[in-house]
Amino acid sequence: MEGNMMLLFPVVCPIAAGIGVLAGKVFRKNRKYLVGLSAAVLVLELVLTVGALLSGGSSLTMLRVTEQITLELGADEVGRLFAALTAAVWLLVGIYSVAYMSHEEEEHRFFGYYLIVVGVLMGLNFSANLITLYVFYELMTLTSLPLVLHERSREAVRAGLKYLFYSVAGAFLALFGIFFLAGVSTSLTFTPGGVLSDGALAGKEGLLLVSAFCMVVGFGTKAGMFPLHGWLPTAHPVAPASASAVLSGLITKAGVLAIIRVVYYIIGPDRLRGTWVQDAWICLTLLTVFMGSMLAYKEPVMKKRLAYSTVSQVSYVLFGLSLLNQTAFVGALSHVVFHSVIKHALFLTAGAIIVTTGWTRVDQMRGLGKVMPKTLVCYTIAALALVGIPPASGFVSKWYLALGALSSGAGVWSWVGPAVLLVSALLTAGYLLPLTIRGFFPGHDFKGEEIQKRNLAGKEPSLWMLAPIGILAGAALLFGCFPEGLISMLRSIAAVVL
Amino acid sequence: MSFVQNFPFFSIIIAMFSGIVSSVLDGKKARNLSLGMIAVTTALSAGTLIFCLGTGESYTFMMGHFPAPWGNEIRAGILEGVTAVFFGVVMFLAVIGGLKHTAEDVEEKKLNLFYIMIDLMLSSLLALVYTNDLFTAYVFVEINTIAGCGLIMIRQKGRSMSAAIRYMIMSQLGSGLFLIGLSLLYDVTGHLLMSPAKESVNMLVAAGSYRIPMLVIMAVIGVGLAIKSGLYPFHYWIPDTYGYATPTASAVLSGLVSKGYIFLLIKIFYRVLGYENLVSSQMANVLYVFGITGMVMGSVHAIYETDTRRMTAYSSVAQIGYIFMGIGLGTSHGMVAAIFHIFTHSATKALLFISAVGLYEVSGDKKDYISLRGAGYRNPLAGIGFTVGALSMVGFPMLSGFISKLLFATSALESPHKMLPTLIVLAVSTTLNAVYFLRLVITLYSRRRPGDAPVPETAPRGSWQLKLAILCFIGVNLVLGLASQPIVRAITDGLAVFG
Amino acid sequence: MSEIILALPVFFPILSGVAMLLRGLGKEEWSRKRELFIESLVTANSLLVAMAIAGGVDGDRRLVLFRLYSELTIMFKLDRMGSVFAGLVAFLWPLATLYAFEYMKHEERKSTFFAFYTITYGITMGIALAGNLVTLYLFYEMLTLVTLPLVLFPLTTEAVRAGRTYLYYSIGGAAFAFVGLVFVLGFSAVGTTEFVAGGMLNLVRAGERKDILLIAYVLAFFGFGVKAALFPCYRWLPKAAVAPTPVTALLHAVAVVKSGAFAILRLTYFSFGTQFLRGTWAQWVVMAAALVTIGFGSTMAVKEVHWKRRLAYSTVSNLSYILFGATLMTPFGLAAALSHLVIHAFMKICAFFCAGAVMHQSGKTYIYELDGMGKKMPITFGCLLVSSLSLMGIPLFAGFISKWNLAQAAFDSNASLAYTGVVVILYSALMTGIYMMTVMVRAYFPSLGGLMVEAAENAGGPHRDQTEAESPGSSAEKKPRARKGKKAAHKVTDPSWKMTVPLVIFAAAILLIGLHPAPLMRLLTMIGGEAG
Repeated sequence: MEGNMMLLFPVVCPIAAGIGVLAGKVFRKNRKYLVGLSAAVLVLELVLTVGALLSGGSSLTMLRVTEQITLELGADEVGRLFAALTAAVWLLVGIYSVAYMSHEEEEHRFFGYYLIVVGVLMGLNFSANLITLYVFYELMTLTSLPLVLHERSREAVRAGLKYLFYSVAGAFLALFGIFFLAGVSTSLTFTPGGVLSDGALAGKEGLLLVSAFCMVVGFGTKAGMFPLHGWLPTAHPVAPASASAVLSGLITKAGVLAIIRVVYYIIGPDRLRGTWVQDAWICLTLLTVFMGSMLAYKEPVMKKRLAYSTVSQVSYVLFGLSLLNQTAFVGALSHVVFHSVIKHALFLTAGAIIVTTGWTRVDQMRGLGKVMPKTLVCYTIAALALVGIPPASGFVSKWYLALGALSSGAGVWSWVGPAVLLVSALLTAGYLLPLTIRGFFPGHDFKGEEIQKRNLAGKEPSLWMLAPIGILAGAALLFGCFPEGLISMLRSIAAVVL
Repeated sequence: MSFVQNFPFFSIIIAMFSGIVSSVLDGKKARNLSLGMIAVTTALSAGTLIFCLGTGESYTFMMGHFPAPWGNEIRAGILEGVTAVFFGVVMFLAVIGGLKHTAEDVEEKKLNLFYIMIDLMLSSLLALVYTNDLFTAYVFVEINTIAGCGLIMIRQKGRSMSAAIRYMIMSQLGSGLFLIGLSLLYDVTGHLLMSPAKESVNMLVAAGSYRIPMLVIMAVIGVGLAIKSGLYPFHYWIPDTYGYATPTASAVLSGLVSKGYIFLLIKIFYRVLGYENLVSSQMANVLYVFGITGMVMGSVHAIYETDTRRMTAYSSVAQIGYIFMGIGLGTSHGMVAAIFHIFTHSATKALLFISAVGLYEVSGDKKDYISLRGAGYRNPLAGIGFTVGALSMVGFPMLSGFISKLLFATSALESPHKMLPTLIVLAVSTTLNAVYFLRLVITLYSRRRPGDAPVPETAPRGSWQLKLAILCFIGVNLVLGLASQPIVRAITDGLAVFG
Repeated sequence: MSEIILALPVFFPILSGVAMLLRGLGKEEWSRKRELFIESLVTANSLLVAMAIAGGVDGDRRLVLFRLYSELTIMFKLDRMGSVFAGLVAFLWPLATLYAFEYMKHEERKSTFFAFYTITYGITMGIALAGNLVTLYLFYEMLTLVTLPLVLFPLTTEAVRAGRTYLYYSIGGAAFAFVGLVFVLGFSAVGTTEFVAGGMLNLVRAGERKDILLIAYVLAFFGFGVKAALFPCYRWLPKAAVAPTPVTALLHAVAVVKSGAFAILRLTYFSFGTQFLRGTWAQWVVMAAALVTIGFGSTMAVKEVHWKRRLAYSTVSNLSYILFGATLMTPFGLAAALSHLVIHAFMKICAFFCAGAVMHQSGKTYIYELDGMGKKMPITFGCLLVSSLSLMGIPLFAGFISKWNLAQAAFDSNASLAYTGVVVILYSALMTGIYMMTVMVRAYFPSLGGLMVEAAENAGGPHRDQTEAESPGSSAEKKPRARKGKKAAHKVTDPSWKMTVPLVIFAAAILLIGLHPAPLMRLLTMIGGEAG
């Protein structure tokens, strides 16, 4: 245990608090304590994270299990980006949950695991080597599982197991790569440009590519990439809305982070550029982008639709990463931020609709504008951002992605990619905007009988719920209007790794 | 010539005369005489053995001091001595162990006949061991057959009659073939004494003449004795005879009689036909193939048996296969292994038969698997005896079977082509042995179920003789397993001066 | 005979066990005193082992007992590898015995059971300390025999059948192992079968008959592999799960099955020698067999709904991890194999003991009956969680260490089949995740529908009888079921300290090894370096 202790606090504090919440009887009985502690810890978490980010670049060796297996934390640029995003969004969703979860049972379990997961996720973001990353990756799967299982219906249990098995399968696929890389690298510490040693690698180049592919597909599981995407549309919708939001918005990004780490910090992009791995990877991401949008378009249940949308959108990020050039990398990372913000807003909206009206299918939501106009406005902003209408944020990331693709020199992909993105954007509009249109303009024949009967008109969700949605939607818009700060930071990262 | 050298001759004659005397005694006295005679002959054989070990050579004893070719010779050496002692011990224990059953199975007034048969059996066995004369051998083979028949028949129950007749027919077939072989041999060589016969055989082989007659002689003698010793596929008489005779008879027949013939066969190979000739004429390979087939097929048959005594009998078929396999290996080590296995198998199989008796006693004299369930608790010593016997058959280390297996295996390493088949068949056969023997052992120690046939409440707990016999047989097994080296050395030395 | 200490841990329990058997026959009173006696006896023996190990493990301490036949001596020798196995067994045995007291509380014929249990300890020690292949073979056969009564213990039809299968397979396996023994003896460079690190074949002579020797090796590998549940000879192991849990846990997850693996390690690294075997077709054959077993075992475990049988299949798969390490035939391969040998022992015995604790407390033997048990038996399921995660190979748990070692060794060996092996291991790890985590999810997050069924079941009445009739278990399982009638009335809780203490110790050991494996790995690497 030597080095920058500041890095440890954001990881350990919420985990300890979460365990306390799970174990302490007082939190089970008294909701005030539960909510109070959770909120306090989340705020503290944000503070600690900021503290850690400002504490400088030195790393922290937590545990030396063997020569190769060491647990080490560090905060480089990419890690900081993800950590800041995580801490901020987690706090907002936490606030939302305070109101949302009052409708659910066994809140203490939800909040307990909610806190633990953020600690684990922070550990993942701050991981300084591949082993640490893998440790937290596995822990994240296990600790987020109870969030999926929360409802404990047969469906939820089945979905939870599906989530678990896909994740574990992906992790083990990746583990194959780790096993291999451990033998051919100088160390497993993340270093821009890769750590492989040419000497040890001699004669095993083919195996390296296989391992790289395994790791991309394996970690891609969490990011919902084809072919291991099957769990995502099942697992995300059955969780409580706030859990779905973080699962979709942040935990999928853990897969993205892991892929970034492996490709850009361990193997090195140069070793993959132009190989079959890159081609296969691009192909898979584009397939996922298209397929996700298509399925979302056909899906009537709102939360499931959003889950399919996640499948599609996260693969935008992966597509950007797979191109292995700076512009696309910037696009990918910016899409990480934007999609995270947007998807949270969307899922939280869906949750708000369910809590207020009990509607789950989009075709039930005609005339929603009469019920919760403010919420629907926020939704619309977020939806437009996701479609990529300027000046909302999604446009910026897609712009860079398309630019990157065109300049990547990846043969046929450089123009197939943007085309697919375009089609997907159209589909995105097709599956997100009907809610807005039908909500505000239900048509002449719409009498709103149900709304009147249940006295739903003008029944906005409580401020605890509305505020996070509003903030997120606003952020989605503002990031699009003023992207320079973020983009320049991302450019500097890209310049280092590529 | 020292006095000890007369012992072999004495032992044969004593055995014979006790048989003759017994015919006028009543059952009990005949029994006592028989036991006494076995003890005495064993002691005499032991004397011979010690003498031979001292000199390290074998000697020829001319009966009536007539020189060849008219005389009738006995030849004794270490190997003969060991075998004779061993046969005596097994015979003694088998008779002791089965005493009670013999008394039950055999009619009171025919009891002395039974012991006559035992006496004659021993005398013929000893004669087969010691004789150096082909015709004497034939005569005693016949005596042996008749004694064997008598032993089977005397029970006069169930299928023992038909079993005896079957035995008679098969044995006569074997004897007939053996006689034909002898006649041919006599035709070709003009000798009936073994040593001169061998000289002329060697000359003939060297000259290359009479090749086909020689081959025929080997085949006919080999097959004849193989039938009599129950080598697969000439084994059909075995399960019936061993299965339906009285326990002593079963133990003696399976443990000794067939071994006597095998010993004779080995003797003829060594002393008359020449082991080298046997190997070079491919006859050894034929025996080898028969042997390994028997090892597997005997066990396979045994697995399908539900009558435990017939099962044990089939196991003998497999074990005879082992012995012939050893002979067929064509090396002196193989021969040592085969002879050692003769001992192992005698001791073990007799132990199995005698212990089984103890188990049948407490199970209402039924012999099938189901009735024997739990018998190991009802008669613990018999249970242990059977378990030890079964484990020895399976080749459990520290018991005699392991040493035989080891000897077979190590000697197989010497012949490049038979190395692997031998070892694999050994392993397969061991596994099969485990299947039927240990299945029975487990049955012995499993709990009775409601539907099982009732057990006689006042089941006899076995006579002390039976217990003694079981204990001694276990002892013999352990001695063979733990202190095998002197015995193996004796066999090796004996074999060196055998030919 | 100065090294008599080497023979003591072997013969002390054997003789005590035999004495108990003789005294115990016919008498059935059982008392705390006797429990105390047995426990102290076993502990004393473990101390003897510790003393023996403390005396030095350089492999030059040997004790020749007697000569079985010319070159075949029964001798003990303590080297590092033997001491690893001996130490492992000595650590586990007293704890398992403690557990067994509680588990067998309601059984009859306890004296017999514990007598054989104790004898088995000695025999296992004999395998660990065996100084040559013959001694190993001797104790290997004896192990089959003394554990047979333990498998037969319930004396039901099913148990008898299981016992028979166990016996046939083991004896048959030993018969083929015997082939290897004979060849080693015949081609040994030293004229005996004494273990020599790195092998003791006379390579010149062996080279002349290379193929035949390789066939013999393969036969012996499969022969010893029977005890290690190598495909296709695995069948006895799941069947033997009818035995009482202490037997299944200690013998069929550690002592017996590991003896098979240990024997293979001895055969490969100390008899034939990797120099002779490496790169031959024999290596690929045995490696492929191990890999098939790994995949097959874990797949079958997923399909199995009986909890103990599922764990047994998991053992089948995990044992072949060890064999896979062994077949890499590199120094590090041996170290990896040994590390899994040690680590799997802790994980599996912990898992089995949890299963046994649940059976003992509630009579539940099938996975689908476990809904919501995690809350009722927190300590038990906490330990099970540790063991499950470790079995899956989640980092920071011990199981990850051995997987890591195996994978590193596989990549080091530069053989494409070994690379495939890594894939198979990961596949198996996934399957492990499935078959262990379904249990955990059930226990902690029962789906609400399941709970309702259980409530109906607890209410008693015809429903329960029906389920009992539907699930034909052995009566070993039925006996606790019969007790369930009483148990159902009051709540299911954690078992008494005799069960929980061993569980917690095992779980702690898993964590400890997972977090600090360096000393263990140093030792194992040293062994690998000597013998590889």
